[in-house]
Amino acid sequence: MKTLALSLLVSSLALAAPRPARDTAAVGQQGQGSVGVFNPLRIAIVDGVELEANPLVFFVAPNVNSRFRLFDGPLQLTAEAGLSLPTFGMRLMKGFFFPSWETSSNDIGWMLIPRVGVVLSGKVFEHDVWTAKVDAAFRLPLGPNSATPLGSFVIPLDLLLAAPLTGVCTRVGGAYDHAFGERLRLRGEVNLFVTGGQGNLVVSGQSVGPIAPLSNVVVTAHLGLDIAVFQQSRITVGVLWANADQGASQVVRLADGFSERQRVRSNNFLPTLDYLWAW
Amino acid sequence: MRTPRLWSCLGALVLASCEWVADPMNFTREEIPRFKAKVEHPAPAANPTALKVMAWNVKYGACRVDFWFDFWGDRVQLSSTEVNDCLSKIALLIKEYDPDILLTSEIEAGSKRSAYVDMIQYLLDNTNLRYAAYASTWDARYVPSEGLGRINLGNAIHSRYPIVKAERIRQVDRTDQDPVTATFYIKRAIARAEVDLGNRTVAVYAVHTEAYDQDGTKQKQIAQIHELAKAETLPFLLGGDFNELPPVCDEKAAAGTAESCDGKLRLAGFLDERASAKGTAFEQPPYTPSVMKRFYDDFNPWIPLARYGVGDEAQRRYFTHTVLGPDSNNDEGVPGFWNRTLDYLFVRPTDGWRDTDVIQGPGRLGVTQDAIRLSDHAPVAGTWELR
Repeated sequence: MKTLALSLLVSSLALAAPRPARDTAAVGQQGQGSVGVFNPLRIAIVDGVELEANPLVFFVAPNVNSRFRLFDGPLQLTAEAGLSLPTFGMRLMKGFFFPSWETSSNDIGWMLIPRVGVVLSGKVFEHDVWTAKVDAAFRLPLGPNSATPLGSFVIPLDLLLAAPLTGVCTRVGGAYDHAFGERLRLRGEVNLFVTGGQGNLVVSGQSVGPIAPLSNVVVTAHLGLDIAVFQQSRITVGVLWANADQGASQVVRLADGFSERQRVRSNNFLPTLDYLWAW
Repeated sequence: MRTPRLWSCLGALVLASCEWVADPMNFTREEIPRFKAKVEHPAPAANPTALKVMAWNVKYGACRVDFWFDFWGDRVQLSSTEVNDCLSKIALLIKEYDPDILLTSEIEAGSKRSAYVDMIQYLLDNTNLRYAAYASTWDARYVPSEGLGRINLGNAIHSRYPIVKAERIRQVDRTDQDPVTATFYIKRAIARAEVDLGNRTVAVYAVHTEAYDQDGTKQKQIAQIHELAKAETLPFLLGGDFNELPPVCDEKAAAGTAESCDGKLRLAGFLDERASAKGTAFEQPPYTPSVMKRFYDDFNPWIPLARYGVGDEAQRRYFTHTVLGPDSNNDEGVPGFWNRTLDYLFVRPTDGWRDTDVIQGPGRLGVTQDAIRLSDHAPVAGTWELR
């Protein structure tokens, strides 16, 4: 305990400036990088060009994203382009999130998910940063596919698999990152996602009709606190709210004593936690 | 049963939201919502002395689509088109028979697998039935098995006469499942409604007992239903899918004795049982028809045992269930057909029956719809004479 307290004290003394804001348009200098348990590994391969990948799922869903600095200054603009191959990882979820299809040849199809986006950031005061981003991911089918949108109870999981399962996932979002002294940063983020439709139900290669429609608009908001731990690392804690149509309904009692079932949107409140290290 | 509750609480708190991951159904007896048709239907006869009644397990509007637990297919979801097509035919059959009271089981309201359709309201708006009560018995935000997803299934009571009170009565749960499975599994309950006929009030019970337990849960649930009906003070109708064979014999009786089932009632080896189901969670447990005897002793069944007969040949016209549809063959190449009786109607012993039957297909009780293509259960129906 004494060692930990001493380390924190030393690290605290070593902090000369607040940790930089995260998830902005800033692209590092060659050799710089960061990684978290859940956040992606990001490495600047040359000045102004970064590659990132999520190591946690990389071996079941290979993924890579590249970031290119378009211009720097008071305003920073960065372009992003990425590619993932989620099929194998999705097949590991069969039996719980997808059918096993034990008596037919139906399966989750092979597909590529390209992604493009732009990120714009600007400084406010000395250390605050605002960020706006627009991105879109698409499904490029490489064969027949029987998988349908998840409609799970965790909206972020539905969003993660929205492009593979609905064909497209677009996002418009904004964030504001405020520094409280050298050790703390508070970050608020709001996103509006529009996914593809539910599509048709495909059984043995044949459509048997449309899947019941759900609203394809999803809203999320995240409030997170970054706590600098050592000179190059931080813990981030927060809460994510997500709102989506997951087919829920509620029974409303009317004045005459009878009831009516009405469709409602669902809400998730999820804790977020990560440890990030930068170099 | 504290562990499943704990799991549900943890699930609800950790994973998210303002909604149960799976409703633990912590009630003994509670009021349930009543619904009414949103379109005008003709008023029924005032002060009736007889009521046309029907009980039907409608298989969540899937008609003959085989789901994974049927072992003849592996579907987990239906398209909107499939559900609407199926429900329109189910509503047509109901409208053809035109019951005053309809008891349904495996009816859903907002399940992913049945395209989130509110089937209770659908039947109100597409038959002559004007009022309904719905007792949810399975309400989960996400059932992980095969990605089944959101589910809300239960028993419903539809009526042409006003439902003045409606409640659900909890049945015992299985004890042979692990806590996680039990959390997300169906919680059986009995729907009870009081229907105002003008000249009297009657009680109506819709039931659906356990199908796959290996621990005697179904037998306990059947005994509970009997106790409830026995204690009922109003004239009553009791019906639904009991998942049990008629008490033509005693399954415990030794071969060669008068009570033995040999040659009287098939207890196993039904043509729709698939070998691959053996050893799974959906294996058919042994039937125990003797548990139904108390209903035949104490109440008035719509088909008396004397009429039901002895042996497959005589009983065939009253069979109400087949997992395998008529357009599919079993592993021996035999097409599916009704092969056992699991569904019943009972009234109090002082009341009577007329024009009773199992609507197995076109021509039965004046119906032209082909019931075997609309569900894995046939509707059981008749006219309840109130005395």
